Amino acid sequence: MTTRTLPLAKRGFNFETFMWAFTRFTVIAMYGLILAGILGALTLSAQTGANFGDILYWAFFPNLAENPLGQIWMTILAKLMVIAFVLSACGHGVHGVLEILDDYFTSHLARRWSRNFVITYAVVASLIAIYAIWTS
Amino acid sequence: MGINRNVSLMTALGYKGESPFLTYILHRIGGSALFIFFTMYILVLLGVDSVNVVFSNWLFQIFMLVFGLFHAINGLRITILDLSPKLIEHYRTVINIEWVVYALVCSFAVFVVLRNAMGG
Repeated sequence: MTTRTLPLAKRGFNFETFMWAFTRFTVIAMYGLILAGILGALTLSAQTGANFGDILYWAFFPNLAENPLGQIWMTILAKLMVIAFVLSACGHGVHGVLEILDDYFTSHLARRWSRNFVITYAVVASLIAIYAIWTS
Repeated sequence: MGINRNVSLMTALGYKGESPFLTYILHRIGGSALFIFFTMYILVLLGVDSVNVVFSNWLFQIFMLVFGLFHAINGLRITILDLSPKLIEHYRTVINIEWVVYALVCSFAVFVVLRNAMGG
């Protein structure tokens, strides 16, 4: 089997191409943030004596747990990283969900409305997540 | 032009696409599961406590780990193949490696959840 690679110029830069690239870049960002998050939580765990699991639980559910980190800069950094991860996950998921829905909704109208709904949902959910994480 | 989809999930699973098709189906199921998880996560951030009870359930945790981990590991395989097109020639080998990695990671994760659920 031979490999076929097509330059970007010949693929055409439409919505699908853009979203394909966007999905790939966001997933790479997510893998990077997961790695940085685990290493960061392990480091903070060693420095502060806080439990590794408690740090991650507080980072993702700040409204349910006490902040195990003493210093403000750690708190801000952790919140920024979690917000970046949630935004990356949301952006990544938008195109995936749209692809699945496109396979089941066959009419143009249904596809347009499913697209509008999913994108609106992603924006609203992201805003809620940013607000809840930052203000908790 | 609309495309008709006349294939049920059960028929699709019986398709002789073998391992690559199975990864395709499982990737979609995993993505859908993670979408539900994300929605529940947003509800927890909004203060809906009942959702947190579901998060604490070990059966839910195992379900999310089985499908979520597959989505993550298969996504990594897709990304690697996308970024290194020459590897596509060996994609069946890559998928076999993926299954081994998934089995190891998933087994460990499920073991930890079960051990915690049984109070270990």
